[in-house]
Amino acid sequence: MSAFLIRRLLRFVVVCFGVSLVTFSILHASGDPIALIMPEAPEADRVQLRVALGLSDPLPTQFVRFVTNAARGNFGNSFFHREPAFRLVVERMPTTLGLTCLAVALAIAVALPVGIYSAVRRNTVSDHAATAVVFLGQSMPVFWIGIMLMLLFAVQWRLLPVSGWATWSSMVLPAVTLGAFTTPLFMRIIRSSMLEVINLDYVRTARAKGVSEWLVICRHALRNAALPIVTVIGLQFGLLLSGAVLTETVFAVPGVGRLIVGAIRQLDFPIVQAGVFLFAIIIVSVNFLVDVLYVYLNPTIRLR
Amino acid sequence: MAVTLPRGAVAYEASGPAASGSRAWRRFALNPAAIVGSLILLVVVGAALAAPWVAPHDPAKQSLLRRFTPPMWQTGGNAAYPLGTDQVGRDVLSRIVHGARISLLVGVSAVIVSLIVGVTAGLVSGFVGGTVDTVIGTIVDVWLSFPQLLLALAFVAALGPSLVTIIVVLGLTGWERYARVVRAEVMALREKEFVDAARAIGVGRTRIIVRHVLPNTVSSIVVMSTLQVAQAILAEAALSFLGVGSGNAYPTWGQMISLGRDFVTVAWWLATLPGFAILLTVLAINLVGDRLRDALDPRAT
Amino acid sequence: MKRWLLGLVALTLAALAVPLGAAAQGKDTLTIALPSHAPTLDPHMHFERVGVLVNINMFDSLLHRSAKLEFEPSLALSWKALNDTTWEFKLRRGVKFHDGSIMTAEDVRFSFDRVLEPGKEKKKSPQYGNVRAIKEVKIVDADTIQLITDKPFPLLLERLVYFGIVPKKHVEKVGEEAFGSTATVGTGPWKLVEWKRDQHIRLEAFDQHWRGKPAFKYVVFRAIPEVATAVAELKTGGVDIIRNVNADLMPDIKAHPQTRISTTPILRVHYISLDMRSAPFDKKAARQAANYAIDKQAVVEKMMAGLGRQVATVVQPAAFGFDPSVTPYPHDPKKAKELLAQAGYPNGFDITLHSSAVDWRPHFEALGQMLTEVGLRTTVKMWDPGPAWNKFFQAEGKATHGQYGSWGNYSVFDADAVLHPLYHTEPGGWIGKHYARVEGLDRLIDEARSSVDQPKRKRIYAEIQRMIREEAPSVFLFTQNDTLGISKKVAYEARPDEWLWLFAAKPVN
Repeated sequence: MSAFLIRRLLRFVVVCFGVSLVTFSILHASGDPIALIMPEAPEADRVQLRVALGLSDPLPTQFVRFVTNAARGNFGNSFFHREPAFRLVVERMPTTLGLTCLAVALAIAVALPVGIYSAVRRNTVSDHAATAVVFLGQSMPVFWIGIMLMLLFAVQWRLLPVSGWATWSSMVLPAVTLGAFTTPLFMRIIRSSMLEVINLDYVRTARAKGVSEWLVICRHALRNAALPIVTVIGLQFGLLLSGAVLTETVFAVPGVGRLIVGAIRQLDFPIVQAGVFLFAIIIVSVNFLVDVLYVYLNPTIRLR
Repeated sequence: MAVTLPRGAVAYEASGPAASGSRAWRRFALNPAAIVGSLILLVVVGAALAAPWVAPHDPAKQSLLRRFTPPMWQTGGNAAYPLGTDQVGRDVLSRIVHGARISLLVGVSAVIVSLIVGVTAGLVSGFVGGTVDTVIGTIVDVWLSFPQLLLALAFVAALGPSLVTIIVVLGLTGWERYARVVRAEVMALREKEFVDAARAIGVGRTRIIVRHVLPNTVSSIVVMSTLQVAQAILAEAALSFLGVGSGNAYPTWGQMISLGRDFVTVAWWLATLPGFAILLTVLAINLVGDRLRDALDPRAT
Repeated sequence: MKRWLLGLVALTLAALAVPLGAAAQGKDTLTIALPSHAPTLDPHMHFERVGVLVNINMFDSLLHRSAKLEFEPSLALSWKALNDTTWEFKLRRGVKFHDGSIMTAEDVRFSFDRVLEPGKEKKKSPQYGNVRAIKEVKIVDADTIQLITDKPFPLLLERLVYFGIVPKKHVEKVGEEAFGSTATVGTGPWKLVEWKRDQHIRLEAFDQHWRGKPAFKYVVFRAIPEVATAVAELKTGGVDIIRNVNADLMPDIKAHPQTRISTTPILRVHYISLDMRSAPFDKKAARQAANYAIDKQAVVEKMMAGLGRQVATVVQPAAFGFDPSVTPYPHDPKKAKELLAQAGYPNGFDITLHSSAVDWRPHFEALGQMLTEVGLRTTVKMWDPGPAWNKFFQAEGKATHGQYGSWGNYSVFDADAVLHPLYHTEPGGWIGKHYARVEGLDRLIDEARSSVDQPKRKRIYAEIQRMIREEAPSVFLFTQNDTLGISKKVAYEARPDEWLWLFAAKPVN
């Protein structure tokens, strides 16, 4: 098992390196970083600036500098806010992660019972209805879901605040929006993994022994579903964060997503780089954690 | 490469010989969901292609007198503007019809880019194997470590928002699925003796690819492409909603929603109706794609 | 598995506990919604209206202006002109800064010098242009200072109304960076408690303010870029005052039981600045055609609820020097097409117009459409306000073929305050240096701004208005109102100088 973990750790490091490379290349993608970094610089000063900022150094040198700085959390100052970009991003990270976790919790809370029921009552009307809902859910843009919910609950019925993240009530709509976006994903997985398991030998044996159907499901089958759920959360964390970005924009939640979107529109690249980098590192770490959990939940892997 | 689950959450392996054509077609064509989906798609594509003739008005024509006309089923509505007008009096229906063009154009083009990149990578990965395979696999892992939307946003911002940039950038999200399928097929093939035999007598790799790899992967690729168009449309809508769209003369659905958001309290239809257009289109594509998958390879459900 | 779920829930709760730092909502707090925050709280180091609105509540100037637009004593008790180029001010005694120190003449001189930076080539402050005419700040004695200008400067008093006085020792001690973000100290009615960038600026009443204590203990400026959100917050009581209420959203606010509208005409004038360096607007006929194309009255009536006034030139009716005998261009699309043909474009011309006035996007699109209808096929390009836009439009002058914008004069009620920045071609100017090329205009502007003979200035401005009406360096549009959405729990009215003078705000019982 330790060999497995070591391999995973190695992979983690390599991927982090790759992440730095991609983040580094954002600024250089257009060919002229000065145009992006120092928009106000007159043509005459650009040559000097290039040297001063180390942009005339060979790319590998620049990259090494970038990585060593990034490792220390130094992405320079935001052009707009004139404060360290990394700090601005980190300050808002708990909000975004909180929104995401809340949404995932909601999604699982809904998807679990529905998915199980759907699998147990396969091919019945309820199953088809659930599948239809899944389809619908996956076909809606998440920001549109948010606007529709806002329209109904905040504007029309005045039950909840339109935006913000200050009070408990203002967290409901964003969390439900992102949760609604995530639920179809989980439902499908739960349903299919439940289906896989429901007729397996050990389950049938348990049934034959007279264990109640629901107990069978809850103890054995759920265990089987846990693995794919965890895997999917890890894999789709990127998708979740993308959804969070859009949700934050709709509901004016002061998270990292909204910060990055604003920074992109302002061409405030230190924030863009810091934010994208941090997100990627988080996703890679989450995937690594998932790999570790994978081992814990699936004994067969340990044998590799 | 790690065992990863594509969106839709079903472990997908390279399939055996594809189901015979006519049986598959029948399975598809008789399915009610597929029929509904295809019909909707037909309408959307038709509207997009024939937009100048189908749209009742010029989408850019403003009229300060007709600002904020509600949809025709509400009081104050006007049958000449069935879905109402926006903040400068432009007809919403016409704008939605024209918006279909960009959505479909970007959706389809991005998937073509994805396809080309992905299939190539899969072939190279499978045939060459070894370090190259590991490298490509690592590239996939790295690429997937970023929230794809943010990555797309960042690159579009750095390169300047143009239609081509958006198509290329969106095309670079999702290519790994094609790569995975093609690679798996290639590796499965390598196990087979007849390939070695064929190589021994000098049959080129190209022939092998064309005669064996592609036919076996066609059905999965077709299904994936269909579903990917849906995702590309959603991604493009997200980009233009965030204001980093192609800045085209004609609006896109995402942009219409974004602009309509400010007036959500006085003109609910501006932000809502374009969203329905997205929903219907994407839903139709998803239905068709899903039924295609069932029809072409019933094993993989 | 259950343990894992529990862990997830705990993590969620922990993460959520962190960002709940909203302001307390008792009625000792006045909450204002701004579309954004200025990059700094330092009153001298930015040029944004949203910054000005915060600064005037934290800093005092030598002079103040009442709601009726009369000069009132503030940090200066009295003032008089010794000669054409020298004004003498008697300072108020015993004024305290937020850190407890007493304001002295040294602080006043320091404040001016940090903007004027005598001896330095490149000036750091974006407001340098406003007070450039001041050559020297002389301390006569502890209570008296003199401002000496290089030439007669008729706008001096106007410019002093918004020129915050900062504490010399404190600024030198904490440095400019900190002064503008965490250690901001002034003499105004409120002092800084906390600034969370792009979220809120929280101020607390300064007990020892020389005017006395303000009615509200706390003031919070929240950054809410989305209009719909701001309106919604107003209706639910999350904010008390919002600015720039869209005419379309006004009925909604008026109808709501807890909110109302306060509106008054202000200086802010809208225009489309035409790039006279290149085709088609290098030809006068084309520029005039653009002016005839616009139905200003329709925009004011249909899109601004009538809360505005079409203008003949960029000089506003409330500004000194306004000449009512110069009439606005009528709406005449036929004439516009003829003129365009005269200019050599019988088949029209494709143009691009830029703007960062995101709140006025529908109006911008409507204007673009009107131009398109006479042959000036317009692509409207909307920018986000920010450094990228500033570079493009102002630093590099690339907004060809024109820019739609508005100008508030820095609340200076004088024609110079709009003519100079828009049309003067000197390098230190704002945008005139890039886009305007009107023969003889520079000389007239210089003449008018260096004389204190008001009748003479008035004549020159009349001549200028006739000249620019004819030459049409811009498409002249309209002035607007300042429309505030106000909670019924707050007594406050909009001011004609577009300020938010919150000292005048009181809770309603």
